Formats: sequence, structure tokens, C-alpha cells
Amino acid sequence: MKLHVVGQNNMRVDAAAKVTGKALYPEDVSLEGMFIGKTLRSHKPHACITIDTSRAEAMEGVVKVLTYKDVPHNHYGVLMKDHEVFCSEKVRRIGDPIAFVVAVDEEVASKALAKIKVEYRELKAVFDPEVAMHQDAPKLHGESNIVYHYKLRQGDIEKGLEESAVVVENTYVTPMVDHVFLQPEAGVAHMEKDTIVVTTATQYPHFDQLEIAEALEVEKEKVKVINAAVGGAFGGREDITLQIHLALATKLTGKPVKAVYSREESFIAHAKRHAMVMTYKTGADEEGKLKAMEARIIGDTGAYASWAINIMRKAGVHATGPYEIPNVKVDSYAVYTNNPFGGAMRGFGATQPPIAHEQQMDMLAEALNIDPISIRLTNAFKIGSKTATGQILKDSVPLRQCIEAVAEKLGFSVVSRGV
Amino acid sequence: MKEIKLKVNHKDYHVAIEEDMRLLDLLRNRLNLTGTKEGCGEGECGACTVIMDGITVNSCMVMAFQAENREIFTIEGLEKGGRLDPIQQAFLDEGAVQCGFCTPGMVLSAKALLDKNPKPTREEIREGISGNLCRCTGYNKIVDAIEKASEYRKEE
Ligand code: FES
Ligand code: FES
Repeated sequence: MKLHVVGQNNMRVDAAAKVTGKALYPEDVSLEGMFIGKTLRSHKPHACITIDTSRAEAMEGVVKVLTYKDVPHNHYGVLMKDHEVFCSEKVRRIGDPIAFVVAVDEEVASKALAKIKVEYRELKAVFDPEVAMHQDAPKLHGESNIVYHYKLRQGDIEKGLEESAVVVENTYVTPMVDHVFLQPEAGVAHMEKDTIVVTTATQYPHFDQLEIAEALEVEKEKVKVINAAVGGAFGGREDITLQIHLALATKLTGKPVKAVYSREESFIAHAKRHAMVMTYKTGADEEGKLKAMEARIIGDTGAYASWAINIMRKAGVHATGPYEIPNVKVDSYAVYTNNPFGGAMRGFGATQPPIAHEQQMDMLAEALNIDPISIRLTNAFKIGSKTATGQILKDSVPLRQCIEAVAEKLGFSVVSRGV
Repeated sequence: MKEIKLKVNHKDYHVAIEEDMRLLDLLRNRLNLTGTKEGCGEGECGACTVIMDGITVNSCMVMAFQAENREIFTIEGLEKGGRLDPIQQAFLDEGAVQCGFCTPGMVLSAKALLDKNPKPTREEIREGISGNLCRCTGYNKIVDAIEKASEYRKEE
């Protein structure tokens, strides 16, 4: 059977529009009589706030200044509803949205932002996720900063470490990373009779629709989200940024409203790849066969949970790397801090642990005087392998072929030991 | 307010501009040529690349009044009689377009390069697009596309 798509080179449906400049990204959409919206954001990481918008509202050309008071249901978030559409009492990170100015043009909107008075009463902040785990650390939401704890236990870790000829133990730290999709966030909202239409670039239009409807307390059917051309995303457009602001602004003014973020605001507005602290203890026998691995992985989810639960679970599940290890103990955590919030980014929690488990492999190899390719071939998953989470790998595990092909291309002669 | 004359994509324009207006805003907001993109607004990404008197410029870093009496090419000016420019065709054929936000700037940088150097090496191509960031493709397909475009132009 000849397949039409799989295995074929097919032209992207939108490629011709993109190569001619005709593709419309949300900032390319302009509607008759539209207003411009601009966001006022926190510049303190942790503080109680009071807001006075009266001077901004009195300005000529300012149509409305939205704050938490205008939001019927001021909560949203992909897993936990821990974001506020606009902060009511407290800001939890630099960049938290506080108000949204709707004005006749960009110049007036910018000037009005400067006229909004926010009084900050600063609270003690916490930026180190390990410190944030302590009971006496400043709390972001509720009683504890630990959002999630994933536990994996397989075999007998103590015994496995005891039986190892060598054990290496190290802590690895990876930083937060921004997606830097090339097109900063933008959107336009307008009313189609009593339906709110939001045109934006998103990874999640159906969920945006739901979150807009919930925040505005309108029926889902009264919200339409149109996905314009998306200028890159890489996970960074899974959380809401300006969608609810625009929807609310158009609903309350009855006019189209547009907002375009600068690159700087884009950096501040959306999630980051979770920074992780990974402490690994890995043991192997004389032959390089892995006996035990213990890992403690702490993910800094910043001020909001976003996808932290799924991401830190994935980090925990992938903690062993692609290796057979009979005795495994993993604890991974997602922890609130006052840092920029962590969220989805390519790999979704599977990207950070290889920094740790692969360095551990190299150090074991060095300690055992085995070459780094052989130690991997000795332990690599194959068909029939059982992962630490108990999954039997039934087909398509081409890891060995991959390692061997790389070794060959490198001209690396494998000193085979027990392979 | 100031009145300026300029030529964009072979067409003469006479437009009123503000003194603090960037060429990028003039193209996008006044002339409605939204194919030119803004990725950073500070000369880093090249999404706003246009050709001014034969050389590429970041239109976010050029003031509108500096375009007075100049000749500008944007992505909208490349098709001829409804036919894609060979560079555009090569970008399609090589799969060099993903999100597409860098594409207009990339295509114009490629054009400026090929106009000067019809048969560049891969190294020269990389140099030619070194002012244009792409976050999606990893660049290889873009370099392939520009190599192919150089062949297409020879055939024409
Ligand atoms: S927008 Fe001009 S260089 Fe980035
Ligand atoms: S195709 Fe997305 S930035 Fe180049």
C-alpha cells in the first residue's frame, strides 16, 4: 500500500502564504476602530499590593483600566487554578499582571500605564527551590510550596548500592530557559454579536476558549478562539497570556481591542523551562553493569504550577536514562518560588535528567577504566528490557544500533567487555 | 509630521510620517505591508529585514525619515506576475519554512546575497544570513534552500 502522507515529502499547507508574507500572524490583524491594550506588571517578586487607577482613567484617550475588580472569576491555570487574571492582593513574581489599560492608541496606553499607582508592601521572597521546600520558608500559595512529589521505588536501593564496586554521587544544576519563539505574543479580540472572538497565536485554542469562558463567566459557546499563524511556540504558548485580558476588554468596551507584546514583555510574560537541581547516586559492578541509582530531582516551578506536575513526573520517569537498573529510587518534586514560572518546553521534563545520568555514566566508566561507549552498550535498553517503572519494552528499541553507528562514525573502537 | 517620498516594491509613495516613526512601522502600519515582521525591535533577530538601495537593513533600526528618496524591497515585492521568486520557490521545495516568522527576512537576506554573489559557498550563505535568527529550523534547510535558489536563478 502506498501511503500519501507517511514517508512522503509533503508541502506545508501554509508554506506559500508564509514565503510571500501573506500569512497573517495576530499582530498583522487590524480591525476598524480598534483600541490598544497594554499590561501593567509587577516589578516586585513578592508583595501585597493596593492599586489606584483613577489618574490613568481620567486621562483623555483612556477608555478603561481593567483590574481584578472587573474579572467575574479571577482564576485560571492549565492544571491548578493558581493564576489570577489580574493580581488582587498579592504579586508572586516580577511580571505578574496587575492591570490592563485600554486606550485609543499605543502612546496613550503607555502613558496611562505610568499613571497607575501601585503600592507594594514587600514580603519575604524565596528564590531557591531547596530553601522553599522548608516548612519555615515564605509561602507562595497556601500551606506548602511543594506542589508535587513523585516517588519511584524499584528493588532494594540500599542493597544495590552495597553490591556496587563503585558508586558516584554528584549534584547537577540546570538553569531556566526561555523558548524565544520568534513572534512575540499578540492578539486581537472583537465581538460578533454576543460572541467574544479572540484571534491569537496559541498551542491550545480549545483550552483557551474554556479558560476565557470560565474567567468571564460566559458560556463556552459564546467564546471563539481563532488561531492565526503561530510564530513558533515550543511549549511557551500552552499557558494563557493575553487571551483573557483581550476577551474581557472587548466584552466591556464593545469594541475590538489589540495587544502586541515587545520581546522584553514576552520574556517576562510566559513560562520558562524548569530549572532543576538533580542529585544522583549511581552504582555499578566491576564489569560496568549498573546495580543501583538514586535520584532526587527538584524542579523550580516559580510562582505558578502550570504543567509542573506532568513535567516533574516525566523527569522522574526518565531519571534512569535508557538503561536497565535493577534497584532504583527516585524522588522528584515541583516547588513554588518567587522566580518566573516554569512550564512546558520541548522535552517537557525529559531534557534535564540526561545532563545528570549521562555524566554519571561517564564518571562510572572512568572509575572502572571502561570506555564510555561500552558501559552504555552494557546497560542500554533492548527489546524485552524492563524500565524502572515496570514497563516491558516490546518493540522498536534501536538504541544499541544508534550508539554503534555513532561509535563507528567517530572511528571509536569499542573495547568490548561483556557486551 | 513630515512628508516623504520613497519607492517600495517598484511603487512610488508620498506619505506623512511622524519624526519618531521607524521604517518598520511605516511599512507595516502606514503601507499595510505586514509581511515585514518584528521579532525584537532592537536589531538582534533580522525578522524585520528589508532591502534598501540594494543592501539589507533592519527596518526596526532605521527611522522612517531615513528612507526618504530611497528604494525599498519587502517580501511582498518578490513575486513577479503571480510567480514566486526562485528563492521563495527554493524555500518551499527544501522545506525551509516552519513557523515562517523569520522567513521574509531570511528570503530578503538571501536575495541581497545572491544579487551580489550568484554562487555562494555554504560558508558564505551562513555568513549572508548571520543577521537572521530562526528558532525553528536549525538553519540547515535554509542553507540548502539558498543553495538551490542559486541553481534556480542560473536556470532562469
Ligand atoms: S525586529 Fe528588527 S532586528 Fe529584530
Ligand atoms: S521558521 Fe520559525 S523562526 Fe524560522
